[in-house]
Amino acid sequence: MLFNTVQFFLFIAAVLVLFYASPRGFRKYILLVASYVFYGTWNWHFIPLLLTLTVVDYTAGRLIEKSDPRRRKLFLILSLGVNLGFLGFFKYYNFLASNVSLLAGKPSTWLALNVILPLGISFHTFQSMSYIVDVYRGEQEAILDPVDYALFICFFPQLVAGPIVRAREFFKDLLHWQPPTADDISRGIFQMTIGLAKKMAFADQFAKIANLYFGNVAAHPGGAAAWSGVFSFGMQIYFDFAGYTDMAIGMAKLLGFHFPENFRRPYLACSITDFWHRWHMSLSRWLRDYLYIPLGGNRHGRVSTYRNLMLTMLLGGLWHGASWNFVIWGGYHGALLAIERLIGRFRRQPVRWTVASWLFTFALALVGWVFFRAEDLHQSRQVLGQMFGNWHGHTLLTRWHTGLALLALAVAAIEEKFDWFEHLMTWPLAVRAVTLALIFFVIEVFGVTDVAIPFVYFQF
Amino acid sequence: MQPDSSSAFDSPAAPTGSGLRAFREAALLLILALAALLVLDGLVFRIGPYKKLLEPDSTAGQFELVLRREQEAQREYGDNLVATFGDSRMSYYPREAAKVEPQTGYYLRQAGLAGTNARVWYYMLRDLDPTASRYRAIVLAVNDFDDEDQAYQDADDLRVVHYAAAHLRLSDIPELVLSFPSWTSRWEALRSALLKGYAYQADIQEFLDNPPKRRAYVQLANGGYPHWTWDFVDSTKTLEGLAIDWSTFKVTFPPNATPDQIDTITNFLARRPAPQTGTMAAFRRHWMGKIIDRYRNSRTKVIFIRLPRGAVVRPDNLVKKQSATIRDFARLPNVLLANEHAFEELEHPELFKDGLHMNDKGNTRFSVLLSQEVARLLGPPAPNWQALPDHPRDK
Repeated sequence: MLFNTVQFFLFIAAVLVLFYASPRGFRKYILLVASYVFYGTWNWHFIPLLLTLTVVDYTAGRLIEKSDPRRRKLFLILSLGVNLGFLGFFKYYNFLASNVSLLAGKPSTWLALNVILPLGISFHTFQSMSYIVDVYRGEQEAILDPVDYALFICFFPQLVAGPIVRAREFFKDLLHWQPPTADDISRGIFQMTIGLAKKMAFADQFAKIANLYFGNVAAHPGGAAAWSGVFSFGMQIYFDFAGYTDMAIGMAKLLGFHFPENFRRPYLACSITDFWHRWHMSLSRWLRDYLYIPLGGNRHGRVSTYRNLMLTMLLGGLWHGASWNFVIWGGYHGALLAIERLIGRFRRQPVRWTVASWLFTFALALVGWVFFRAEDLHQSRQVLGQMFGNWHGHTLLTRWHTGLALLALAVAAIEEKFDWFEHLMTWPLAVRAVTLALIFFVIEVFGVTDVAIPFVYFQF
Repeated sequence: MQPDSSSAFDSPAAPTGSGLRAFREAALLLILALAALLVLDGLVFRIGPYKKLLEPDSTAGQFELVLRREQEAQREYGDNLVATFGDSRMSYYPREAAKVEPQTGYYLRQAGLAGTNARVWYYMLRDLDPTASRYRAIVLAVNDFDDEDQAYQDADDLRVVHYAAAHLRLSDIPELVLSFPSWTSRWEALRSALLKGYAYQADIQEFLDNPPKRRAYVQLANGGYPHWTWDFVDSTKTLEGLAIDWSTFKVTFPPNATPDQIDTITNFLARRPAPQTGTMAAFRRHWMGKIIDRYRNSRTKVIFIRLPRGAVVRPDNLVKKQSATIRDFARLPNVLLANEHAFEELEHPELFKDGLHMNDKGNTRFSVLLSQEVARLLGPPAPNWQALPDHPRDK
């Protein structure tokens, strides 16, 4: 059930009606059942897996809290082991198996298994692990009610692609739930609509070009085609993921929950460091708190800082998918972050926003997307070869695609400078209604409805 | 903070007055936004200028061009006009039909469009002949007077919302939507009929790609369309050499058959029978019935003709047809059925360019036969009729 389908809107409407029409005591059960139904519509076979992880981590949380320090560590390791074990098996087994097979001189499929990746496993295992680590660190009390914990893991707005919500944020809303205010509801409606527009009118339009290009790179030779194909993917992945996140945050608001911001106009960043402060912020925060800082962060000298940065980004890359392309993508960003940090040591002031720094950062991000989108390393090399070695060919972007990108840029720039969304929320109802109608109109005229293009991050 | 064993959901309900106000405001916001969207869509696509900018080669653009051309023809041709409707197989040449006009007294005008069916013809006729009095006859071309369900159902053909997009009224929506058998199609139809931007999406995107080019082409098409269609000459390709073994559906294709010929022969002519569900009969009863109803108390006759069935004729015994809606219509006072065998002489491979359509030679002969058959059915023209020998279209 994709977020941009009629079925989903009927589902969310039914959930909202049931949720608010029910006595308070039933509401979390309604959310829990709705979340399992939502997950089950994808593949109900994986519900037992979700339940297993829920039971394991709920129990581990309770045991960690009650136990002495030595046993606490044991339960922590056991819980993390189970989470990483499931994640490792479902997501990385075939990747490891193919590499071992190749090293052994066998065909890559020698040890392969027909493993189906459970939807959202990367997200909900990270969320589980953060809870367990927080309980172990004493930053979060163990949750007593298993229903509360189950809801934390499977809450449908963010179950399959985040944002990765921290336990304390989620339980603050759940345990002290208050009905959404008029402002929450208005924001929720706007965020859902803006998310839908990002997905249908922007991401899916650019996805058509990106798919055309990456589906057959050889058929579109030349630098212009390559840059336009990669640019299209850059647009697709941002609007797709940010659109999903906006919808998730909006839906949560309608249900009285407050998710953290996940994107803050990343393509307006003036450095890669700035980019990562704006892109998939909930993952960046997770990686910082549960990987980079535990590795030592920047506390043990320059070399160790660069190593930790690189390791964090390499693992962050691998989190996205089991392939060398993602490892390289992570390493590429790790290297850029390290270089910026190194250069920063010689600068007195932080990087200032200029058109040049913005364009340069955007171009660097686009180069990284080549590894993210390409089928394999061979295709990555092929695309990069075209981008930097061949200035001929024709762009795949039509004029109106360029217009769409410029429109997005203008909206983002105005938001960056004037925070128009916050102003809009204070305007009279009629003005907000007309603005909402304009967003609906953009979906009506540009929204892709002839093909169903899945959300990119659903595969992770 | 030690978490409570129960969440806030378990605590007594908080006062809900402010909550209700919040939801009322949200409902009002959504209602106003949807109303504003309808107004915006209406301003741009219903009463706005966009209709005049439609891509002339698109379904909606073709509909507009034919409608305009035939509205002008009504002014030019006088009292004995006959409008013909059909899909791409109704491909006679009006210029050839006009040559017979001195003998028959009737002008045949082509108001059909490729890929259309009775649902589109109804909406076309409604705007083409709002008083149901402008034509001596309406000719509806069908492939069979009996009802045969095929794998592809006219009832589920969503192209109507594209063809007739500019002419669908809000009051049409319930009937149009419910006339589609599947819920998916109903949803598509509802969305496109309510918000025309959906129906025009591809057109708008293409327009935005190069607005000056579109404007120039629209201007060109508006000026030249009547002449282009009048002077149109079809392909001279034939299907000579085509044979079909109907017991096995094995096709012997003509030597050097093109992919298009192979495709149309395989998918349309040599198609295997589909289960007979009565869907076609229901569709015809509804939409052809509506056309007939429009002319119930009018001087205009509704004539059904059976088109030439193909380069090779499918045997009748392939399908046991369960109904014959059009034969049933013939009992009504203003409905006439053409001689079912009137065009059988055209059912030869040398007169067809592919598995569906006649070629230049076939169309030329069909034009004359059609005019003669319509004239035979209608009898002598109106007493006040006068030939228009110097009409520019006749040259």
